[in-house]
Amino acid sequence: MSSWLDHTINGLIVGNVYALVAVGLALIFGVSRLINFAQGSIYLVGAYIGWIAVVQLHTPLPLTIIVVAVAAAIVGLIIERFGLRPLQNSVRIAPLLATIGISFVLDQLVMLIFSPNPRALPSQLPDVRFQVGGGTIGPLDLLIAGVGLTSALLLFVFLRYTKLGWAVRATAQDRDAAMQMGVDVNRVNQAVFGIAAALGGVSGMLVGMYYNQIDTAMSLQATLKGVVAEVVGGAGNVPGAVIGSLLLGLVESYGVAVLGTSYRNLFAFLLLVVVLVVRPNGLFVSARQAPPEPLTGTFIAPSRPVNIPRWALLVAVAGFAILPLFPVSFYVLQTLINAWLLGMLGLSLTLVAGTMGQVSLGHAALLAIGAYTSALLSLVLAVPAGLAVIGGGLMSAALGTLLISPSFRLRGHYVSIATLAIGEIVALVILNWESVTRGPIGISGIPPLALFGYDLISPTSVYWFSLAVMVVLALLQGRLLTSHLGRSFRAIRDDDIAARAYGLSLNRYKSIAFIFGGFAAGVSGGIAAHLYSYINHETFNTQQSILALTVVILGGLGNVVGAIVGSVALVGLPEVFRIAAEYRILIYGIVLLLLVRFRPQGLLGTV
Amino acid sequence: MSNIDRRTLVKGSLAAMMAGTAFSRAALAQSAEPILLGVSGPLTGPNAQYGAQWKQGFDLALDEIHAAGGINGRKLAYQFEDSQSDPRQSVAIAQKFVSDPRIVMELGDFSSPASMAASPIYQRGGLVQFGFTNSHPDFTKGGDFMWSTSVSQADEQPLLASYAVRRLGLKKLAVLHLNTDWGRTSRDHFVKAAKEYGAEVAITEGYIAEERDFRSTLVRVRDASPDGLILISYYSDGALIARQARQVGLKQTICAASSVYSPKFIELGGEAVEDVHLGTRYFPQDPRPEVRKFIDGFKAKYNGQEPDAFNAYSYDAMNMAAAVVKIGGTDRRAIRDAFAKVKDVSSVIFGQATFDVESRRVKGAMNAELVVRKGQFALWDGKPT
Repeated sequence: MSSWLDHTINGLIVGNVYALVAVGLALIFGVSRLINFAQGSIYLVGAYIGWIAVVQLHTPLPLTIIVVAVAAAIVGLIIERFGLRPLQNSVRIAPLLATIGISFVLDQLVMLIFSPNPRALPSQLPDVRFQVGGGTIGPLDLLIAGVGLTSALLLFVFLRYTKLGWAVRATAQDRDAAMQMGVDVNRVNQAVFGIAAALGGVSGMLVGMYYNQIDTAMSLQATLKGVVAEVVGGAGNVPGAVIGSLLLGLVESYGVAVLGTSYRNLFAFLLLVVVLVVRPNGLFVSARQAPPEPLTGTFIAPSRPVNIPRWALLVAVAGFAILPLFPVSFYVLQTLINAWLLGMLGLSLTLVAGTMGQVSLGHAALLAIGAYTSALLSLVLAVPAGLAVIGGGLMSAALGTLLISPSFRLRGHYVSIATLAIGEIVALVILNWESVTRGPIGISGIPPLALFGYDLISPTSVYWFSLAVMVVLALLQGRLLTSHLGRSFRAIRDDDIAARAYGLSLNRYKSIAFIFGGFAAGVSGGIAAHLYSYINHETFNTQQSILALTVVILGGLGNVVGAIVGSVALVGLPEVFRIAAEYRILIYGIVLLLLVRFRPQGLLGTV
Repeated sequence: MSNIDRRTLVKGSLAAMMAGTAFSRAALAQSAEPILLGVSGPLTGPNAQYGAQWKQGFDLALDEIHAAGGINGRKLAYQFEDSQSDPRQSVAIAQKFVSDPRIVMELGDFSSPASMAASPIYQRGGLVQFGFTNSHPDFTKGGDFMWSTSVSQADEQPLLASYAVRRLGLKKLAVLHLNTDWGRTSRDHFVKAAKEYGAEVAITEGYIAEERDFRSTLVRVRDASPDGLILISYYSDGALIARQARQVGLKQTICAASSVYSPKFIELGGEAVEDVHLGTRYFPQDPRPEVRKFIDGFKAKYNGQEPDAFNAYSYDAMNMAAAVVKIGGTDRRAIRDAFAKVKDVSSVIFGQATFDVESRRVKGAMNAELVVRKGQFALWDGKPT
């Protein structure tokens, strides 16, 4: 029984660590209705500034904390001023993407300056340990708890009892009304970003000391766990974020206790999905509050799509089709194969996110389902590869729609977070369901693509095959969008209440969109599996989901041709920047930021 | 389908193109251009640190190779393409290398998904893929152009099991392993060997690479009441586990796989890694001349920094590549055949490396039993801790 006490204590300790990030996220969400994906990067920057202070300058702890807080706050203010403020009249999705771009840039800068090697960040507190249960806790545990609770309390008081705090809350409720009442909205945003960044920086430093280890990979993990904790507690609710974090820590700890270590994150993301489905506003936000999401299509940029004449499309397709007849290198063909595969994923996501308004951050899961189904069909049941790929598409359509269906009632950001969680869950199930997926060992020896008994091995034949599949899917999707289904999808995206009033069944249309989208993504995953011959749980990761979303936004939400143009650009750009070696992801991040800043509706515009 | 006709037509034109490249390759060999190796590996992304370590090892080996006169008077150079260990990028890089006539062979990639996705392209393109960190048992089964100097876990894990069970006398073990293809394969070999040597494996726990918090895992370990902890980890997670094991009150002997062998392990683990036992392929005071040359050269080149396991792998790999190119010249097929011919190449990891032609791997890694004493790696003196 004493183990349960230990598991409880451990859960609270790690929940403590999550709380530091979650509080900063909650504060920003509370004001700007924005999930700040750069919060983890500020946490990273804080950790490295702490390293400079402690290891190079030998500052004492109180001074270290002040140095880190001030430096991180400055970074936060810079992000707010140059990254986000220019976007405030833009669509809601623009700042979300901007934070993703900013986090790329910050992470890469830290990596370039400090090298990706992990570093030790020694704790500056005396090394005394207190016996609690079977284990011990140290002064850092108490300090982290203290910082988390105190900052949550201070923020609570600040928001409730100070003038600037009222301004913050007024801005959160209705930005335009607050401005009319004379609230300087920019100052409010500055204050919030400064505070949140200072908190983020200090927490990165403290967590670094806690583990005596900092490295550039800590940013994404911190953001993921922070987002889960924040949403569980109720987005935008600062005390809720602390309780959500502790709850998350406990659930993970008990999960490990019951099933073992490799199930840990599975419990974290299941908790998130359950909370979202049962109480979409989070555990500690009353359901009577106004929904924290825009009701109508303001999430997505209204714009006039660029009209591309039909003959130009025909010429482009024909041009790409005859490209292998010219002496182009296989490298170019392979890069374009990657673009076509990403294009299929882009088609899927542009339908779901753009046309239907369900912005998915877990689309890689559909690839993985398609890839595993197709690989296993051809290896275990000896199904010909061509049919197996179709099987992968069908399985992805069915399973993907089934998995996402509980979150059909969610809106806006919450859909993104739910899909992010579902994506992680699928990856973890693949890792742990060894009897079927072979776990971390992965599936090797997947036969190459074949069509009517002919193996498609040469880059040229794979090129034509994937181009043809993508064009067919694109034509189908184009046809779908011009039918009454397309109009219904867009009606639901633009105003789901009005759509419902017209008698459209939201669930049915969302299912149709996910079935079609799941099929396209599954086919893409299936082809990739046969192309690579080896896949495991890491092949289709979160980065792939984020890339797909970038493709869709770059091309223009809902825009079929745009998704393909976006894919070619985003597969091509990093290849073009290849000469820049270590700098290329940095350049990529900057390009993304500029794009969001100057053309948020995408290259070809929203349909 | 007119497509089929077109395909045959294309094949014809491709054959013509290839003949052209073969011709230009022959012409190139005469020039004073360096012989170029392709490297596909992570320079950015979550595994970037390993790419950076590879570069250090490569550069040191190249300095020595050039100081000794290069490859029959020609210089050797590498072109490092960043794959982020992402299969989508590694396949594009593979096509790039295969269609670049200057590249005579390829080294890498780092992770199994990235490496093995590219294998079919290298195999069909007839370019050697020399995967020097690829321990996945199926890597060299990709074809006769796949060769690896990665220490086979079937070789390494029985040595670790022998250290833990026979030498340290541990009887009931808890195994913590990275839940990757490497960690899983290693765990299976370790558990098998440990059981053969008469120990009981009380619990095995796999964890994902991003994990930072092991306290709950360690409580599970404690409840299984083992007398020793086995870490099949890299240095950063190994150091975290050791620290937290001491924090939750576990005082058992810790024995770790050679992959934790890095000065960073001690830096990150601090006092908690004191008395941790580990098997390694070489150690700082190792008297073997090839190890002395490597360690002294490394420290001189990189401001006194101690080399770690990944530095050694890449250093060995570049030396092996040089030895192979010396025999095989610049023809890609001849290079593949040369892998079967090289004998007793001086190696930090193997002492003398010779490929087993059947498995296309090298057997017989060196073994040393170390322990951390006073913040230093030292040979274990046989005294219990």
